[in-house]
Amino acid sequence: MLGLDGCLTEVMAIPGALDAMLVDHTSGMAVAASAFPPGADAEKSAAALTETLRATVDGLARACPGDTVRVEDVLITTDKGHHLLRPLDTLFDGPLVIYVRLDLERANIALARHRLRAISAELLA
Amino acid sequence: MPPLDTHLAGPARERSTGALRVGRAGTIYLDAGRITYMECARTPGAERLLASRGRVSEAALRRTQADGGCERLLREGPVTLGELQYCVLGAVLDAAFFLLPAAGPRPKFRPGERHWLGGRWYFDVAGLVRECARRRAHLASVWPDAAVDTAPVRVSPRLRGQGVTLTDVQWEVVVAADQEATPLDLARRLGRTGYAVMLAVRRLAAAGLLLPDERAALPRRAKRLPKPGPQDAAEPAEPRQQVDVALLLRLRKALEELA
Repeated sequence: MLGLDGCLTEVMAIPGALDAMLVDHTSGMAVAASAFPPGADAEKSAAALTETLRATVDGLARACPGDTVRVEDVLITTDKGHHLLRPLDTLFDGPLVIYVRLDLERANIALARHRLRAISAELLA
Repeated sequence: MPPLDTHLAGPARERSTGALRVGRAGTIYLDAGRITYMECARTPGAERLLASRGRVSEAALRRTQADGGCERLLREGPVTLGELQYCVLGAVLDAAFFLLPAAGPRPKFRPGERHWLGGRWYFDVAGLVRECARRRAHLASVWPDAAVDTAPVRVSPRLRGQGVTLTDVQWEVVVAADQEATPLDLARRLGRTGYAVMLAVRRLAAAGLLLPDERAALPRRAKRLPKPGPQDAAEPAEPRQQVDVALLLRLRKALEELA
């Protein structure tokens, strides 16, 4: 059975994954994180990524009036790499967010999204 | 009274297993010196959080607790390991937020006691203290006045503008607020963590969607009333008012002449 640590290991096994993190969206807390590169701080990144997701949802709520916004995943591509955020609806509070940073050259976005979907289904019934 | 985390240092060093009871405020469960679970009388426990979405009832959870315990809960599958860990994490941090700073009676340690949902995720005291401090700072950055955390949630009946966006928790708070329930009452009622509701309420306050707290507003208004004193007796309020009227009349006359 997949727990939070196991989930993180699975996410890191996605081809091209550089680092990954599970974030509690309510508090912006890093629940579990892979080893981050020097200079990066998992705790601060978690809080900042939470704000990114919140701003995205706010923006979409304004841009699509009449819809309740339900984000499947968010993909941000920079000149250095891809960043994927996937919020998971949990039994309570949350959402729990999977974050993964992917190598620009080696990663396959379609495969990574597919793997994240499969991992989320395994993590939460 | 020393803060609670100093009482935790002993059992943690000795790798004890058991429950540290903090009077009526709550209980901290340790397994070989590591924190496995924390419960606080003021915040909803993991059972309440698990039951909130209706997939498993609190009665069914109590039955599972009595017969089969956590193993059976996970085996029979209403809850996955990931969900249980995440839920315990939410409940423990919520309890720690109120329990760790509380200075109560000297806690009693009962060796051997375990919480039935604990032991699937471990916490260290330093990490809990750090995260609670971060949460407090975040609450203050959203809305500086902590009074809204404990006051009854009273939502403004009208918007000041034309539209507003609410998060899911804010929506639940607005629907459930009955002018009397405090954020922690609402948290238990909604099966949300206390922190999630307090944060949602502070955001509502920051957006101007809460009615001003009566307890705070009344004395402030009273202070603005002129105090009867020797100055007022020497110069009553009425003549001053007449001067103002005279000034206004002169102004109107001057404006009419200009036109």
